[in-house]
Amino acid sequence: MTAPSPIEVHDVSLRYRLDRANVGTIKEAAVRTLRRQRTVESIHALDGVSFSVERGEIFGVVGPNGAGKSTLMKIIARVLPPTSGRVVVRGQVAPMIELGSGMNPELTARENIIIYGALLGRDPRHMRDRVEAIVEWAGVEEFVDVPTRSFSSGMMARLAFGVATDIQPEVLVVDEVLSVGDKAFRAKSQARMFELINGGSAVVVVSHSIPLLQEVSTRAMWLDRGRIKMLGTAGEVLDGYQASG
Amino acid sequence: MTAVQSTVVYDSDLRRRPLITEFQNFWRYRGLIRLLVIRDLTVRYKRSVLGVWWTILNPMLTIAVLWIVFSNFFGRGGVLGEPYVVYLTAGILMATYFSQGVIAAGSAIVNSRNILIKIYIPPEIFSLSAGVAAATHFVLSLLPLFILQLATGQGIPWTVVLVPIPLVFMLMLVTGLGLLIASAAVYFRDVLDISRVVTQLLNYLIPTFWTIDFIEGTKAEIIVQANPVYSFLVVFRWWVYGGPTPPAWTLLMMAGASVAALVLGVYVFSRNWRRVVVRL
Repeated sequence: MTAPSPIEVHDVSLRYRLDRANVGTIKEAAVRTLRRQRTVESIHALDGVSFSVERGEIFGVVGPNGAGKSTLMKIIARVLPPTSGRVVVRGQVAPMIELGSGMNPELTARENIIIYGALLGRDPRHMRDRVEAIVEWAGVEEFVDVPTRSFSSGMMARLAFGVATDIQPEVLVVDEVLSVGDKAFRAKSQARMFELINGGSAVVVVSHSIPLLQEVSTRAMWLDRGRIKMLGTAGEVLDGYQASG
Repeated sequence: MTAVQSTVVYDSDLRRRPLITEFQNFWRYRGLIRLLVIRDLTVRYKRSVLGVWWTILNPMLTIAVLWIVFSNFFGRGGVLGEPYVVYLTAGILMATYFSQGVIAAGSAIVNSRNILIKIYIPPEIFSLSAGVAAATHFVLSLLPLFILQLATGQGIPWTVVLVPIPLVFMLMLVTGLGLLIASAAVYFRDVLDISRVVTQLLNYLIPTFWTIDFIEGTKAEIIVQANPVYSFLVVFRWWVYGGPTPPAWTLLMMAGASVAALVLGVYVFSRNWRRVVVRL
């Protein structure tokens, strides 16, 4: 008997109503309603997407801007509920999407590690014990009790990456994260990612960098305007996407 | 790295059950709520030189100004059995708890946008945390009130042990109203500004620095008493320094309005949360 897939996406669609006029205030809405100017339309951010990702697999997602890649990441990370279809994610999810935004600049690195860990669903007592290891990995040991306001963006990214990857999550969601930081950080974070993959995580990577995806991913999906254009081995999908220009 | 054995399963087919899911979340995420409240307090106190004293000083300055201006008006009329400064301080503190709590709970979800669009946390957790933070500020600001009670000879009666009752009901009221505002705020950005103005007006409508005898027997008195915050005010004054005993309906109103606001707020939010997160 094989274990069920960590990520299963069945016929998922996400629609939302968007007001073209971008009505932002009650006053504007009232005026527009009186003038019958409301122009609401339904947007299909994702349309009937199905796939699954197995343990130890690195699943690359490519597509032009607005194809629904980030929406898909949010659906897997449970942030957005699908309008129709079904998503099943088994295990802890460590999302690594635009790192550092969960950190408060007024708080110290130590306080931020504990809060950020708690936001990711981890026990604060456990996080307290992990602070030393995380700051060491991020290379900010000397600044553990300094407000992160004075940190460089690279230090923030390393710290956030260190917290997110401090556990062996069953599912790792990576959105363009490897393009931040210097060469040394990229190498270090890639090494950490491979550690997690070898440990059995299912990884979904979204990136515009075809060479990076070609190097790391095992399977890939090409999204275009919310639909799957191609789904298969990394080689064929990425070649196909590149050939399309 | 440490291995975490977990069997967390997210299945999008398991829908939220309105009210039940939210109240379960409040309990399940109590550890995070505690951390968020501590963060809120730490950030606020770190930012100012005066630290924790600022929370106490801030309402005290308002009270000092009002006291200087109005003590001649209201202090000598003989209608009050208590020192005007105590009456005033208790009123301002409760009104501040209400207005700051509602605005904090109402803006918490929009303010946590950066986190909520990346990590799954039930958004209502942020509203409740903001309410709890406001409650904590209220508790801290009781200290100068107690000092005034002792200094004026009013003293601290045993009924002070009942003060947690209006404290908790007010938390329910501000969290409920906050969730209603938050549900509307994602559609219209100006909802928060409007709420600010409305809570400010509501605070003038309750007898904080003025006394109810000015409008006794008029239609205005009914309007003032229909405001649930009024019932908090009179109950709080009764228990915290031994103010006049209010009629029984104020207790019922305080409890009823709070429970109703919380249930309504949570329910409306529950029905709208999908739209709320999509629009964040």
